[in-house]
Amino acid sequence: MTKQTYTTELASNRREFLQGLSGLTIVIGSTGLITACSTAEAQQIARAGGTDLTANIWVTIGTNDIVTIQYPGTEMGQGTSTSLPLVLADELDADWDKVVVETVTFHDEAYGNPFFFNMLYTAGSLTVQAYFDRFRLAGAQTRRLLVESAATHWGVPLTELETEPSVVVHPASGQQLSYGEIANFTEVPETLPEIADEELKAYGAHRYLGSDIPRRDMPSKADGSAEFGIDVQVPNMVYASVLRAPVEGESALEVDDNTARSIAGVIDVLVVPEGVAVVAETYEASKWGKEALQVTWSEDSSFRDANLETDLDESLRRAEDMSLSGAAWRSVGDITEPFATAAQVMEATYLSDPAYHAQMEPMNATAHVTENGKAAELWVSTQTQSLSILGASEFLETTPDKITLHPMFIGGGFGRRGLRRQKYAEDAMYISRAIGLPVKVIWTREEDVKTCAFRNAAAQLMRAAFDSDGNLTGWHHRVAAPRVLEYMNPPRWEKSNGRDVIAMLGSESSRYDIPNFLAEHIETERRSRVGAWRGVGTSYTKFAAESFIDELAIARGIDSLEFRQNLCHNNPRALNILATVAEMADWSRPRDNTALGLSLAGYSRTFGGGIAEVSVDRTTGIITVHNFWLAADAGYLLQPSNSQAQLEGNVVFGISNTLKERLNIQDGVVQQSNYYDYQVMRMNEMPNIEVRAISTNNPPTGMGEIGLGSVSGAIANAVFAATGARVRHLPLTPERVLAAMTT
Amino acid sequence: MANFTLNGQTVDVPADPNTPLLWVIREHLKYTGTKFGCGVGQCGACTVHINGSATYSCLTPVAAIEGADVTTIEGLSEDGSHPLQKAWVAEEVSQCGYCQSGQIMRAADLLANNPDPSREEIIAHMSTNICRCGTYNRIISAIQRVAREAGDD
Repeated sequence: MTKQTYTTELASNRREFLQGLSGLTIVIGSTGLITACSTAEAQQIARAGGTDLTANIWVTIGTNDIVTIQYPGTEMGQGTSTSLPLVLADELDADWDKVVVETVTFHDEAYGNPFFFNMLYTAGSLTVQAYFDRFRLAGAQTRRLLVESAATHWGVPLTELETEPSVVVHPASGQQLSYGEIANFTEVPETLPEIADEELKAYGAHRYLGSDIPRRDMPSKADGSAEFGIDVQVPNMVYASVLRAPVEGESALEVDDNTARSIAGVIDVLVVPEGVAVVAETYEASKWGKEALQVTWSEDSSFRDANLETDLDESLRRAEDMSLSGAAWRSVGDITEPFATAAQVMEATYLSDPAYHAQMEPMNATAHVTENGKAAELWVSTQTQSLSILGASEFLETTPDKITLHPMFIGGGFGRRGLRRQKYAEDAMYISRAIGLPVKVIWTREEDVKTCAFRNAAAQLMRAAFDSDGNLTGWHHRVAAPRVLEYMNPPRWEKSNGRDVIAMLGSESSRYDIPNFLAEHIETERRSRVGAWRGVGTSYTKFAAESFIDELAIARGIDSLEFRQNLCHNNPRALNILATVAEMADWSRPRDNTALGLSLAGYSRTFGGGIAEVSVDRTTGIITVHNFWLAADAGYLLQPSNSQAQLEGNVVFGISNTLKERLNIQDGVVQQSNYYDYQVMRMNEMPNIEVRAISTNNPPTGMGEIGLGSVSGAIANAVFAATGARVRHLPLTPERVLAAMTT
Repeated sequence: MANFTLNGQTVDVPADPNTPLLWVIREHLKYTGTKFGCGVGQCGACTVHINGSATYSCLTPVAAIEGADVTTIEGLSEDGSHPLQKAWVAEEVSQCGYCQSGQIMRAADLLANNPDPSREEIIAHMSTNICRCGTYNRIISAIQRVAREAGDD
């Protein structure tokens, strides 16, 4: 099944290995210290400190038997800092207890994620999906090299050798050599061994994968020693708090800082881009200084007239204006004819409000700018080594090699930490450059809520055409949203041919076999800072698509499970998900005071389906979710227990998104400020959640965002089943439920 | 000046008396396991024990805890061996992990007063603390594991 894909991977990987040998590598020196350096330097160190074996860019076998694996991602709770190195270790047949995992800290496209134009970028649940084959191959080639070297050393045929964890054994003679011993006399050949795909371990034949190896980051997260960006302390460091402009694009015209400067410990007050910073010896002094500032803002921003309600009305108008068209996200057949000749056309519009990441770690960065402003050392919780480095080098107008990055543990990512221009880091660099000292900038929660690049609002028009036999012959999904990707990362947008994955993901509805299909991006003016949010576009596109499917099923008088089964009759994985989740929820059993709703909403290449059981208080409009069942098929599961945890977290995030989360913008100003007015789900609001991660013999895909699409449609459909009211505006607030019940 | 006992050791910090305990612990004393989340007592990431009770350190000025006994995640055990810490690892509770010091300190306060809490009691006690990754189910499981294993002794 994977064969065809794999052949092309092999070809590209051969280049990658050669590139790697002439590019950057990492070696473990004889002191045991890990050093990043050029290959020439690596070879020098290798010669000086023994002959550690660096077979490719991903792994080094130390003569001390330590196996060092390079991890190109970042760790924000998804667990890939364990699961991805485990892939290589398994194929290498390394002793996992002797594996050291090193995060790649520099920008080098050889290590990059091809889904992101070879940037080191951890997002979109794409880390395992992007690197699985490369890591298997790297492990297999390195193992083969060691076995071949041992065979030559002993003068025995290759076929007589086997491996046990980190040891090559010759059963006939009883001889054995550890990987480190072999590394000591092995030279990396000009051409690395060929590995046919059938020589790789088959699904289910792994030593580690599939058996829940403990995540490496667990102990430090239970004893408080895990070091997040905000925990960084460097010598001579000072602190800064930043009062950020209330409206995007504005700056301070006048600053009364007399009181701020009188506070003990305050060192300086600086006007920074879109803000005013108070620098102090302690964090508290900087914060008190910030609170004492009196600032007159320029009040000249075009965002001053941004108002969520009217802007969303305008988006809706554009979604409904059929004279407007946009970039096709997915197009199959031609929708013109089926709609022109349809026996029945159905239409519905859906709205969604902006949402804030509410990641637990407030935004922060520590920077030390040197060399007259042309170099920086940067400590930051980031989802992307590449963009942190490239963005910093652009900000300082220097070259990327002048940025030394320390990527830290991330206290929640969810898309918040993946922009090219990271304003919190720019604040730290700006201030450090001005005062010549390392600076830790910590934005308060309020500053982040106010100026975050949050999930955009969207208006969507759904249209469906049925022929006279009742067949669904045309599907038209119009998403009116800004160009989110353009704001997040302009160079990536320029390479994307107008396809905005952030705004549009999920609208492809590819599980359904509909002969004529168009999902298109009706562009709207950007009215706030915008960025990716967990689930990317699926958190609203799937709400619309899966609510609408339900509306169609009801209009046709067909059970919504059966209606979906009919539409994906050629898709066994989708059918399996539907059957699984229906069985988990006991779909056909009538309920007395509650009702069920279904959603078949995968994420990218991962299949997922959810069922919500809800009741609705008809007086207050409050929805209570009693149960949520989620089944997902992300292919071959590397770490089943961790996958289950991801699914549970996804359901919590998804319910929170569906019922509560809403940012409001008036006159360009975000109206919320902290967890008391931007509420996220707490433990006492959690329903009974049951998840099932199904392992199938398919290439592994993402697990981190599957719930965002799966949950909202299921709840909305359950609300309809309970009340007969169709709520088409996310979140499903009590007011909206009540309003829908009275129409 | 701030005078109190931190994880069994007397500390004497030249900090403004209005400084929240959180910042004295984190930035002056460099015990960074206790986290800043909201600054307003809404999320629980900053939870420490003051004289044995779970408290928001972000809302507690050091002037208010003169001579008090403060325990942070670093002081819960010397080596991560507190039953809750072991249960957190065994149940693989953490995802991003940022809130988990606060969650564990909150849970320790519960079990100190109620060694065998019901599921409802766990939920009622723990709902002060937000976990954005959504690890709530496993937090409950880990607390139940500790209660169960204590009961087995």
